Amino acid sequence: MRRLLLVLLAIVALLPADAGAAKKIQVVTTIPDLADMTRKVAGDLADVSSIATGVEDIHAVPMKPKFAVLLNRADVVILMGLEAEHAFLPALLDASRNPKIRRDAPGYIDTSVYVPVLEVPTRLDRSLGDQHPMGNPHINLDPVRGKSMVRAIADGLARNFPEHASTFQKNAAAYTKELDTAIARWQQEAAPLKGKKLVSYHPDLIYFVERFGLEAFGTIEMRPGIDPTPSHVADLIERMRQAKVEIVVRERHYPAGLAETVAKATGAKLVELPAMVGGVPEADNYIAFIDYNIRTLVKAATGG
Amino acid sequence: MHRASVEWLRRVTALTLALILIQAPSVVRGQAGADDALRRELDAVKEQLRRVEQQMKQQEELIRKLSAPPPVAAPPPAATPPAVASPPARQPVTPDVEALKQQILAEIQPQLAAANKTFASQFNPAIGFIVDTVFSHSRENKSNFEFRSGEIGISASVDPFARAYAIINGTPDGVAVEEAAIVTTALPWGFTVKGGRFFAEFGRLSTFHDHDLPFVNRPLVLDQFIGGESQADGVEVNWLAPTPQYLALTLGAYNKIGAANDRVDNRIPRDISEFTFLGRMHTAFSLTDSLGIDLGLSDAYTPELRSEALKARNVFGADFTVRYAPLSQAAYRGFVWGSEFLVNHETRPGITPTEDSPDQIFRVRDAFGGYSYFEARLTRRYYPGVLFEYVQDIDRPASRTWALSPYFTIWASEFQRLRLQYTRLEASVPARTDDQFFLQWTIIMGSHAHSFRDR
Repeated sequence: MRRLLLVLLAIVALLPADAGAAKKIQVVTTIPDLADMTRKVAGDLADVSSIATGVEDIHAVPMKPKFAVLLNRADVVILMGLEAEHAFLPALLDASRNPKIRRDAPGYIDTSVYVPVLEVPTRLDRSLGDQHPMGNPHINLDPVRGKSMVRAIADGLARNFPEHASTFQKNAAAYTKELDTAIARWQQEAAPLKGKKLVSYHPDLIYFVERFGLEAFGTIEMRPGIDPTPSHVADLIERMRQAKVEIVVRERHYPAGLAETVAKATGAKLVELPAMVGGVPEADNYIAFIDYNIRTLVKAATGG
Repeated sequence: MHRASVEWLRRVTALTLALILIQAPSVVRGQAGADDALRRELDAVKEQLRRVEQQMKQQEELIRKLSAPPPVAAPPPAATPPAVASPPARQPVTPDVEALKQQILAEIQPQLAAANKTFASQFNPAIGFIVDTVFSHSRENKSNFEFRSGEIGISASVDPFARAYAIINGTPDGVAVEEAAIVTTALPWGFTVKGGRFFAEFGRLSTFHDHDLPFVNRPLVLDQFIGGESQADGVEVNWLAPTPQYLALTLGAYNKIGAANDRVDNRIPRDISEFTFLGRMHTAFSLTDSLGIDLGLSDAYTPELRSEALKARNVFGADFTVRYAPLSQAAYRGFVWGSEFLVNHETRPGITPTEDSPDQIFRVRDAFGGYSYFEARLTRRYYPGVLFEYVQDIDRPASRTWALSPYFTIWASEFQRLRLQYTRLEASVPARTDDQFFLQWTIIMGSHAHSFRDR
């Protein structure tokens, strides 16, 4: 026992401490979208890391011990909210033992606080699948809601670091202006999408669909988070044929086979989209991410 | 109400009233002698018409206000942002609109109050309930429907400084508090302290509840060396080292470790030397984005075991877990390869003292055991795996048991699981073999949490 303790202490002594690096604000975000927004808002004042790389399913990001270390040293954690990160963030926050960023602590910055939420369930029941009690959490797909997320980041950082508040607000205003310009352009570019019916694997496109005038017809999953049964797929294909649904979206973290089957059976165009920044190499920042999704969908809708 | 609807309503009402007024004189002519009554009726109709027109004017005014374009001038951003989350900034409003809002708010206030009503039970902890049931068949023990447990799990924050949880388990043997623990949440420098009854941090799968195991039964070595789940009454200090490399250290002191460890009576007070002390080190490495390895070393030391006149008991364990989860398909693909090896080291009384040699002679007795399992994730639903086990008997190390168990787990959803397992069991002394079949059905309802340990 004593020998074991000595060995453990020796190991700790040998490991390099990270004493000199804590000058900048240490920010950990759950997804790369928030990391990009935070870099725009905080500029050089912060070191920003993201837990997810962007290719993951936000509901199934693997928990790695290195994330606990990252969060242990964080001044703030920035999350999408609405329980989107339920599968990994609460456990990682526990493992990080960092009181500054526990839920509802000042360093816990929820970017959904200013966002109008859709699909808030009127009844909670597991027979309805993996419900999100606070509403559909995939708000990052809508750039207008993205502006609200930027505002929440600026306010959250200012709450924790009031000495830099004016910088955060100034940067947020500049980035919001940039987003406004892009949104006006996207509205024009997305004109061919208006009224198009779309089936996705998971109900994560509803904010995008609402923003750009498409219609979310259904999902390949039989319920959120529940893989489809053969009868659900057969029923979906039949309904899609009748309604002449033109687009099937496979979010890139879902299996390809079933989406291909559904698209082939209905004659719909299969489109593969990322659900986060970093989901494809071209979508390396938030504006490029929305750009990519609109461009890809328009190309599919116009027969490109 | 829409402007067109109001206009339509006005026309219909006016037409109706006009017809009434046209008809009124003929009625008067046909009913001579009732002039006074008719005049009163006519006055009433006129009054009604006046009120309708007044209401229409009010509605038109309301629509005009609501249809007005919003003011264009937005306030400049505040120099100092709000300290806490606040609702989105509002556009400047005219006094009329503000009055209208107040009027609407006043009208819906009773409903708002009802929706926001608080009551004491809102502070109740989160509750989950687990049912674990197994059908088994073996050559030795025949067949059985085994209700393994109905387990209530509750958890909540206690205050800003601690959280707590409890697992209360009902089995055919009765109801027992499996865990009831307090965990600090606000200690600095990466420390947490846990107290009460909980599963001591020895190794990996000894800290799992039966229904959480990746296969039907707990590995033999954990049953024999630990006493099943590592349940312990005591206190544990855990420290996350402030190093770039993940390193967690645990020190604990308990009455004993092991829910089914009947070598120590949990209820009788004891000397400090009879406690069981634990040390554990856990670290992990990411070999690639998708591949990681966890390594752990544990040691549970009991200086004295008076009930058996043992001088000392030491259980040493080493565990490693390799996980592969491709980032973009983590819910659909991957594998886990988990192994634990344990050594039980005891200093037991040897030959009974005699007059010629009155001093007690002690003999060291070591026993070894371990398990290794490999589980693949083929889809979100199907998880096949295989478990190999080997254990020496603590009392008679020459007696060895080994087992091989292929199994197949089907997750209907995150909350319902079916598992089929076959176990081939062989033991050297007495020489025996057994073939066992299991069908396990487990569900969870209510609250659930994804824990770092179960990842």
